[in-house]
Amino acid sequence: MSTLGQLVLSGIFIGGIYALMSMGLTLIFGVLRVVNFAHGEFLMLGMYGAWAITRLLDLNPYIAAIAIVPAMLLFGAIVHQLIVRPALDKPHLVVVFATMGLSIFMQNVALMIMTADLWDVPPMFNRSVAIGPFYFKAELLLGFAITIVCTLLLQWVIRATYLGKAIRATVQDGEAAMLMGIPVPRIFLITFAGGSALVGLAACIMMPLFSVFPTVGLNFVLIAFVIVVLGGMGSIEGALLGGICIGVVQSISSYYVAPAYGQMFYFILFLLVMIFRPNGLLGQKGAATIGIND
Amino acid sequence: MSLDVTQQSTGRLALPFLPRRGARVSVLEIFIFIVCLALAIIGLPQTLQDVAVLTFLWAGLALAWNIAGGYAGLISFGHAAFFGIGAYTSTILFVHLGLTPWIGIWCGGALAALFGALLALICARLRGPFFILSTLAAAEVVRIGALNWASLTGGPEGLSIPPVAGMTSMVFASKAAYVAMMLLFLLVVYAITKLLEGSRYGYYLFSVRDDSDAASAAGVNPLTVRTAAMALSAGLTGIGGSLFAQYFLYLDPTFVISPELSFQFGLLAAVGGLGTAIGPVLGSFLITPMSELLRSYLGNQAAGLHLVIYSALLIVVMLYFPGGIAGALTRIVSRKGKL
Repeated sequence: MSTLGQLVLSGIFIGGIYALMSMGLTLIFGVLRVVNFAHGEFLMLGMYGAWAITRLLDLNPYIAAIAIVPAMLLFGAIVHQLIVRPALDKPHLVVVFATMGLSIFMQNVALMIMTADLWDVPPMFNRSVAIGPFYFKAELLLGFAITIVCTLLLQWVIRATYLGKAIRATVQDGEAAMLMGIPVPRIFLITFAGGSALVGLAACIMMPLFSVFPTVGLNFVLIAFVIVVLGGMGSIEGALLGGICIGVVQSISSYYVAPAYGQMFYFILFLLVMIFRPNGLLGQKGAATIGIND
Repeated sequence: MSLDVTQQSTGRLALPFLPRRGARVSVLEIFIFIVCLALAIIGLPQTLQDVAVLTFLWAGLALAWNIAGGYAGLISFGHAAFFGIGAYTSTILFVHLGLTPWIGIWCGGALAALFGALLALICARLRGPFFILSTLAAAEVVRIGALNWASLTGGPEGLSIPPVAGMTSMVFASKAAYVAMMLLFLLVVYAITKLLEGSRYGYYLFSVRDDSDAASAAGVNPLTVRTAAMALSAGLTGIGGSLFAQYFLYLDPTFVISPELSFQFGLLAAVGGLGTAIGPVLGSFLITPMSELLRSYLGNQAAGLHLVIYSALLIVVMLYFPGGIAGALTRIVSRKGKL
């Protein structure tokens, strides 16, 4: 029983971190209606950045976030201006191939510069924290706490500020929002850059927990897409809920199912969700069935 | 200027130009065919023969990918799975059971087609990015499966075909035979594509790609059309995989079923021009020799460089010439026609 409790709780914590990683994707998807295939590579870039700052400047990944988040914000803005914006008024296929191209580009540049080796940062706290009878890595708890704070903050921005109102209006009906005087292209830019900054933050939190290598994005991007589909696109609390579900399923299955097939987990889970729940947990208008033909 | 009805209704999907329909053969195609034939007949130096083999093979595979990706709108980044299934099927049948690859190739193609049809049925409801990611995930499942099922596939050590030339083993001593074999493969896939373009079934494909709802209202069943297109594309890819195995004589899952290979098929087709017969051929003829020569000059120290170039080229082509090379050519030709 205590094993199961341990598994469920650590699943919830890791799921929260997955949710933070997916929030940028779900925001961009909800507002721009385009999928950033390079999302996983944005995460990879952020993780390499956090690793470099930690190793070269002898700081820790959480302090690195102060530099990484604005850097990713800028990077997102540049990618949006150079690649996403010119593709928006073209056939849907264009943005798919352009971001896919960006993803392959970033992966292979990383492969050339950093080689295929796995890099990680030294443990910082070197101890576990006890919650009742259960023990957790301090990095995991800290990451989860940061995720919760970010979710609440993001919720507040979207609910209460003018910018949030403009974003919600754009999600509901882009053309009507434009007619009401909302600068939709600027909202697109802010959302894309903001989503990239969120991935940067997620990267800093994940760096103490995972190793970084050029194709690290592929595993995580599939999880992020599962979370977006489960939670409903554009929904922050949906992403948190979806993330926690995925975290618990992963934590339990990796303990009870043969670990040799552990790396298959992400892919099989993705396919199962796509086959059986393409409309999400709460049955919203399906994120997965909106796309090229509709 | 008269408005083209098909282009009006296609919305965001509409490719910037629609392929010239019908099984007509243009001067450009005949010219390319003659050049290819000449290359196959006259003796090329050893290194260039390798380049020719790969150029023809990748062109055929990009065409096969284009049947699903360009004509049916089923963008797949899982075609490496079909390629791998074809390659492994014929090789396993030959190495373990002694069945000649002349038969094994068809078994590989059939199995790959079956797998393609299954994948299309499973992902029938999915659109756009989710379809793409599902194909990617399915291919990864196949790759990891092949890595772990060592008794059948040899696992990470791979599987070799004994390099003894012979007719029954379909292993040839001269590279020229391989050049001819791959050119034949390219011609067959090209002929199938051209026939498809002009046929009733081809029009079903276009209609489902451009507007699935309108197509089903007109009595076309999108599910069967998509499934058949995916099966055809996968089957041809499987046959290409078997041919690759006969040429390379060594298979290992990390190359044969890699996501990079799937991207490569898609990239060649997209750079050349999606939804055209000549596009993928032009794409491969332009890019494959370039990347092969680059690889032989730079050696292994620049792992991934050819993909960096591929992908940068892809981004530029997609943003500025969404119709690819074939689209740009068509535009130039039609502009000249007007003047």
